[in-house]
Amino acid sequence: MRKLLTGNSAAAWGARLSDVDYLPVFPITPQTEIIETLAEWVDKGELNARLTTLESEHSMLTAAGAAAATGVRVFTATSSQGLLYAMEMLYNVAGWRVPLVLVNVSRGLSAPITLEPDHNDILAARDSGFLQLHCATCQEVLDSVVLAYRLAEDKRVRLPVLVNLDGFYLSFTREPVEIPSQEQVRAFLPPFDPGSNRFRGGEPVSQAVAVLGGGPYSYFRYQAHLAALEAVQAFDELGEKFGECFGRSFPAIEAYRCEDAEILFVMIGSFATKAREAVDRLRDDGQKIGLLRPRLLRPFPAEELARLLSGKAGVAVVDQNLSNGLGGILHAELSAALYHLPKRPLLVSFIGGLGGRDITAGEFYAMVGQVRQAVAKGQPPPPRLLFTEQELKGMRGLQNIASGKGASHDA
Amino acid sequence: MYRIRFHGRGGQGIKTASRILGTALFIEGFEVQDAPRYGAERRGAPIFAYVRADTHPIHERGVIHRPDLVVVADETLLAISPAQVLEGVTDSCVVLIYSAKPEAWWRQQLPDIAQIVVLVPLESLSVAIPVGALCAGAAAALLGKVSAEALAHAVEEELSAHDAAMVESNRKAILAAYMEVTPWRGLVCSSLPLGVAQTPPPVWVNVPHDAVDIGAPVIHAGATSGLVKTGLWRTRRPVIDRERCRRCLQCCAWCPEGGILAGADGWPVIDYEHCKGCLVCAAQCPFQAIGVIPETQAEGGADAQTADRK
Amino acid sequence: MTPEHSGKAEESPRQRLLSAGTPMCAGCGGLQALHQIYDQVGEKTVFVNAAGCMTLLSIYPYTPFRGSWLYTAMACAPAGAQGVRDALDVLLSKGHIDAGQDQLPVVLTGDGSAYGMGLSATSAAIDRGLDFLYICYDNEGYGNTGHQYSAATPAGARTATSRVDGYTGVKKDLFAIWSAHRPAYVATVIGTEPADLARKVKKALSLRGPRLLLVLAPCPTGWGFEPSRMVEIGKLAVESGIWPLKEYSDGQVRHTRVPAKRAPLEAYLGLQGRFRHMFVPRRNEEQLAALQRQVDDYWEHID
Repeated sequence: MRKLLTGNSAAAWGARLSDVDYLPVFPITPQTEIIETLAEWVDKGELNARLTTLESEHSMLTAAGAAAATGVRVFTATSSQGLLYAMEMLYNVAGWRVPLVLVNVSRGLSAPITLEPDHNDILAARDSGFLQLHCATCQEVLDSVVLAYRLAEDKRVRLPVLVNLDGFYLSFTREPVEIPSQEQVRAFLPPFDPGSNRFRGGEPVSQAVAVLGGGPYSYFRYQAHLAALEAVQAFDELGEKFGECFGRSFPAIEAYRCEDAEILFVMIGSFATKAREAVDRLRDDGQKIGLLRPRLLRPFPAEELARLLSGKAGVAVVDQNLSNGLGGILHAELSAALYHLPKRPLLVSFIGGLGGRDITAGEFYAMVGQVRQAVAKGQPPPPRLLFTEQELKGMRGLQNIASGKGASHDA
Repeated sequence: MYRIRFHGRGGQGIKTASRILGTALFIEGFEVQDAPRYGAERRGAPIFAYVRADTHPIHERGVIHRPDLVVVADETLLAISPAQVLEGVTDSCVVLIYSAKPEAWWRQQLPDIAQIVVLVPLESLSVAIPVGALCAGAAAALLGKVSAEALAHAVEEELSAHDAAMVESNRKAILAAYMEVTPWRGLVCSSLPLGVAQTPPPVWVNVPHDAVDIGAPVIHAGATSGLVKTGLWRTRRPVIDRERCRRCLQCCAWCPEGGILAGADGWPVIDYEHCKGCLVCAAQCPFQAIGVIPETQAEGGADAQTADRK
Repeated sequence: MTPEHSGKAEESPRQRLLSAGTPMCAGCGGLQALHQIYDQVGEKTVFVNAAGCMTLLSIYPYTPFRGSWLYTAMACAPAGAQGVRDALDVLLSKGHIDAGQDQLPVVLTGDGSAYGMGLSATSAAIDRGLDFLYICYDNEGYGNTGHQYSAATPAGARTATSRVDGYTGVKKDLFAIWSAHRPAYVATVIGTEPADLARKVKKALSLRGPRLLLVLAPCPTGWGFEPSRMVEIGKLAVESGIWPLKEYSDGQVRHTRVPAKRAPLEAYLGLQGRFRHMFVPRRNEEQLAALQRQVDDYWEHID
């Protein structure tokens, strides 16, 4: 069935089709529509699951992890400040090695508080032990949730998964989405088998037990890392199976018009479709440009990225995040992945789209120009914040008011 | 560098001992590093602390694996965890034991240890002084690099939070312990770290990716803590006198460890493998039927265990 | 492991349900109470633990529990109990487990979590009517970190963060806070009053919904007394009236033990290092009288 769905609805559909058992929830903009949708289905008896509203995201993640540890399939969702409030439990739950799916609707972090998206929230969770899938379309949101369960519950993996979609640009944006039938999804996703790590009366099991000493701690932490690494292979296999079941392929990295490309964009999330559009226009202009978009960010598909980028001339890495005092996070991680290549491309770092700030087609074209210049010089320029003269002028006008100097109509 | 390791039990002032020695060495102009090692274990549980001192800045850190002086504040530890107490002890290392037993007895017990000095409990002391502090005084003398004045200053500095009378009694006792081992003054020698060629290489392995059943911090069994012999924390032992015991079994309820069990025949039975020696049972018995004896005098106690080990 | 694992075969003593061999301090009043409670609640339980002394009950690969255990974090044990309860309900309703495989979620926290960081999660769990038992071992300070003062510390007690004049606040009334939520059951207990404790555990187990056992846990390490005096001090807490034994259910508070003649509070305070500054170098008559007055005022209207 093909329907117009928002990204939030698509996430809810993904959970519904995955036969989730338990929905611990807490509202936060721009995620709330997901839990409202699920609550309505539960109330109407269309979804046989239990929904409990907790009093915070910290408690929500705790209940989610505890229920998964007990042995049911759990779905939950949050955004931004909520993800940070739950952060202690993200690390915990990943350490418990319980499979569950957490949707994050990206939104810039406070302070200053804002509603619109960037990726600092989700990237703050990159070391938490949760695997991360990043979506570019509403279709991908639905598909990713279903795939995430299969990945999380895979015996080789057994880790929780974060599925990320951008606030506003996906969460509140309707697009045509193919909703697979329940039977199709059940054929792809078998019922949850918790194995022996679960709570049943008469079977003593102690989970999330403390350790003393660096030896056991190193071992358990490294097991979770090995499981995450294993997820690269598992994701490839499951993505292929997903294609067979649903007719939509699902590689870990979307490589668009890359084969003969000289210069590529690398970015994650919904703004990557803007880059894809820019690639087409630049190709129309005769330029050999491509796009690489990792869907899978944890585990980091370093080998595949290196394979795809070896021998390319230059890359525009577009980070919708800012690690203060370092720069773009994706740029840093990609640099590390390519460092050992004998024929590595030159990377140019762009910081854009912070707090939902748009990235225009013209800016994509200009980024390519900058990469070309850098390649010609053999040296990258300093990281560039996408921020125009007009924006600075507007800012000055606001500052005039804020400083009590009166309204400026120039803004 | 001097590397000194203190072994004792929670509550014996082992951390303070390491600090007194550390401060005394610091007053004498040494570069010093001292630290206690905390675990989850509590009062009565085996703990250790360490001190390093050198004429140059110290770059070593953490646990001392090759000590020059091992201080055993609680002799029962030698019976229960000799492997830990005597770890890395070589012929050049001195082992100081706080014990009423003579040196000859310890030489017989520990034939592999080349240098043993025994600090006998000082009967002249009128007040109870933490054992650790006495050991710090003796250790200072064995190093031969700490004057009595520096030691006295260190005591005052480390105990400054306490009242004057307590500082004075500690100072006196620690100096008495210092004098007690003066015949062995300077017995401990500083040592160099092992050279590169003498240091055995690590045997690293590629950690296998295990199934999540065992690869997560999960226990698939109940009541495994019974395997932990907390009876080793005990320095004094409650003993039930069956002449007096009326089998009221109140002691079973009071025992915080669940370590007194009602036997099938109605007698209470103390689980010495786990009894931590809190002695609530002895204090509460309405018939004064539970006596207390030092663990060292108990049948099957520390002495016997030491003997078993041989 | 068999229940008889550490007993002599010829005597075959009855083992406690909670195994020995834990790293709790010698003379721990909280552990003494937990043994009694665990004997009654049994092994069809999932103990959901918050950061505190008793986190260390289960250190890989050792646990004293014959049932199940889940460590969460300091703020959120009640939310963990919610997840366990909800999941078991789902499994029951979908027929994946039978009633014999059901378990009671039991929150186990110290006062640091129960009176402070975990209070929001606790309040919300009661709001939701969560069917669980909550055990707070209240040793009146952040015991596991060396006994700094918490919201449960009594007035005047010296702690690692009130070393000179003692705690200047007053002990928060967690019993009243719980009761104000109108839960199924709230009771104050202490391990040194085993009959009262046993009756209250039994009553709690006969009810459904949120149920609190607030356990005063005499703490040799944090309170400064010889471990052998733990029971003596626990009894004095009740006899002096500073730890009233009471329960709340059906909207009513009942005192389960009203001392006919209360022991002077001094008798309780004087045995503990944390109150020593009220007695030496000289008696602080004003403070002692004020503390005694607080106890007297409490009992004035209690029959």
